[in-house]
Amino acid sequence: MIDKNLYDIAIIGGGITGSALACALVNSQKTKSRRIALIEFNNMSNIREWKPPHLQFSNRVSSLTPRSIQFFKDIGVWENINHERIRPYKDIQVWDGISNARIRFNSDDSISINKNIEAIAWIIENNNIQHAILTKLAQYKDSNIDFLENTTVKRIMFDDVNYENEQFDLSDWPSLELSNGKVLKTRLLIGADGINSVVRSFASIESLGWDYNARAVVATLQVEPQVENATAWQRFLPTGPIAMLPLNNRFSSMVWSTTPTLASKICTLPSNNFIHLVNAAFRLRIADLEYLYSQLENCDIEFVKEFEWRQSIEKKAGIGNEIFPPLVLDVQEKSRAEFPLKMRNAESYVKERIALIGDAAHTIHPLAGQGLNQGLADVQSLVKVIEHGVVTGQDLGNIQLLKNYSSDRYLSNLMMLGAVDKLHKLFGNDFAPIVFMRSLGLQVINHLEPVKSEIIKYAMGIE
Amino acid sequence: MLHQLLFMLSSMLTRRIAQSISHYSVNNLFAKSLLSPREHYTTTNVPISNFQKSLLAVSSAFTAFFDPSRGDMIATLAETTSSIFLNKLRDEMLRDSKGRQILRERPIINSKTIDIPNLRTLPEGTFGKEYANFLDGEMVTPDTREKVKYIEDEELAYVMQRYRECHDFFHTLTKLPVSVEGELALKWFEFAQTKLPMTLISSVVGPLRLSSKERTRLFEKYVPWAIQCGSQSKLLMNVYFEECWNKDIAEMRKELGIYLVE
Repeated sequence: MIDKNLYDIAIIGGGITGSALACALVNSQKTKSRRIALIEFNNMSNIREWKPPHLQFSNRVSSLTPRSIQFFKDIGVWENINHERIRPYKDIQVWDGISNARIRFNSDDSISINKNIEAIAWIIENNNIQHAILTKLAQYKDSNIDFLENTTVKRIMFDDVNYENEQFDLSDWPSLELSNGKVLKTRLLIGADGINSVVRSFASIESLGWDYNARAVVATLQVEPQVENATAWQRFLPTGPIAMLPLNNRFSSMVWSTTPTLASKICTLPSNNFIHLVNAAFRLRIADLEYLYSQLENCDIEFVKEFEWRQSIEKKAGIGNEIFPPLVLDVQEKSRAEFPLKMRNAESYVKERIALIGDAAHTIHPLAGQGLNQGLADVQSLVKVIEHGVVTGQDLGNIQLLKNYSSDRYLSNLMMLGAVDKLHKLFGNDFAPIVFMRSLGLQVINHLEPVKSEIIKYAMGIE
Repeated sequence: MLHQLLFMLSSMLTRRIAQSISHYSVNNLFAKSLLSPREHYTTTNVPISNFQKSLLAVSSAFTAFFDPSRGDMIATLAETTSSIFLNKLRDEMLRDSKGRQILRERPIINSKTIDIPNLRTLPEGTFGKEYANFLDGEMVTPDTREKVKYIEDEELAYVMQRYRECHDFFHTLTKLPVSVEGELALKWFEFAQTKLPMTLISSVVGPLRLSSKERTRLFEKYVPWAIQCGSQSKLLMNVYFEECWNKDIAEMRKELGIYLVE
């Protein structure tokens, strides 16, 4: 007799990676007969019944690579996406705020990129993704999956309690004590519970890394209407990069990582000054920006006048002839928010009966838009490993099996973390010789198509 | 052999850089002389980026070093280094609200814009009166400044002009005389203020013209003062001197952090 509180796989955390993993497991012919519990602390009904407000966008968006999109297609999630609210982009422009040296990636120009690829990546609201996954999961109501919402894991432990009619020794299976009073036992426990993962601390896996002395400000911007708003823009300022990502022809999403002091001031700045500060951050000299930073608390200064004056001077000098992102006209009310930036990598992704995925395993600076894509790559890899375990009749919690997942993902995540961290450090420096060398590097790479193609393929998740 | 190789490399590099930036920066002597006439140029006056300028500065310096007959390279060197200097100076002004006001209004100093006879009537000890005294004592007028040429960017040309026009105000504030010694001391002072090495070029060559006694005095008295005073005082490019005629000059020195050389 099977105890109803025994599971093959328990996933803690019903965010995008956790619920995508559950979805992929029930969708797979090989793993769908396993008993799965997905435990989420929030009530998901808001997202399940998500009705996107017309001409408003959430400030939490992600950039999905072709590889992540393919995964969503494979598990049947993509068909549930609201396609009017996603925006592919084929063009990336990145430039140095001090020297203005630029690099441009365009998927059409790259010789070695498969022409069938429609875009470098897609900008999509996190709610849109999560809603599509929940819609798909709802179709599996009668399967072997239990989605426990509104449920907190109070304690994880190993216990010796012997269940009735127990034929096997399950003392090495993790037990989960839930807020609804139930106790679950699981063969394999998966932590998809974010940067402060309780699963990771239960497993005493250390998380290595550091906090950047920086915070990211996000906002939804209304921009000058574009014929085709399909470029991702990023300017590296000495305080951190500012990026503008297309949502549709009239809206873009902004991520601006900057010092904690500036971030909180930028968040509370009156919106008319805020939009011109953003325009200035993409177009004006660093010295102009530094002046504006010093005036953030001065209500008498009209940023629009400063911006228009400097813009007219730069246009006359010809600098305005470079291509810049669309002008910001307005900021969506209450769309400004800030969060801390961290770099983390767990010292190990697996232990006996335990695996970590997504932010529970690693956290990355958002400047390359790779965080969620890494998490989804973890999911794909772990699903393969579990399928293999099922097919070959192994215990799914066996460390030898789980190590295949770890060895597949650890180095690859570490490389991406390292590359993004180095980029952040390289561009966070305003020491003249370093500015000179990195600008030279940018311009040289900009002319080396094969190198550019390799970089963009790496960023797109094409191996 | 090595020289020849380096020379070839540097002129190739210069040429390549010029080509790569030619589509938006051609209105300068050197690019015209280097590039093949077949290429199409836009004639709009579009400056190249700071970064490209520094590349040009380095490569033109190399070329000129190995072949001093390349006058175009020396001109390029002068043009690119001065534009780096002016860009930095402008940035310092852009960071300051008075500096921005000056850049926005672009006030000009000459005998038409400044009523010198009126300044002479101000009470002793005011900045206006001291300035008039300086002009009369040295028998100069604000019109003797050289006009700015060869700088295409309007705003940078203005910064250069302002820099020259303010020179006599610097003399007035620091009380340094118009002599080789005084001018060199002022150059050191400007270097300490701006931290821009270009202001030092003449301070290195200049002392050759001094007697050994003067030279000793320069390095033992003026230079230490210039470095100390220049680095702790407010950047004088951000002072709207035209608004200060009636100010007490001692008060003004105090506000700006300037003390006199003993």
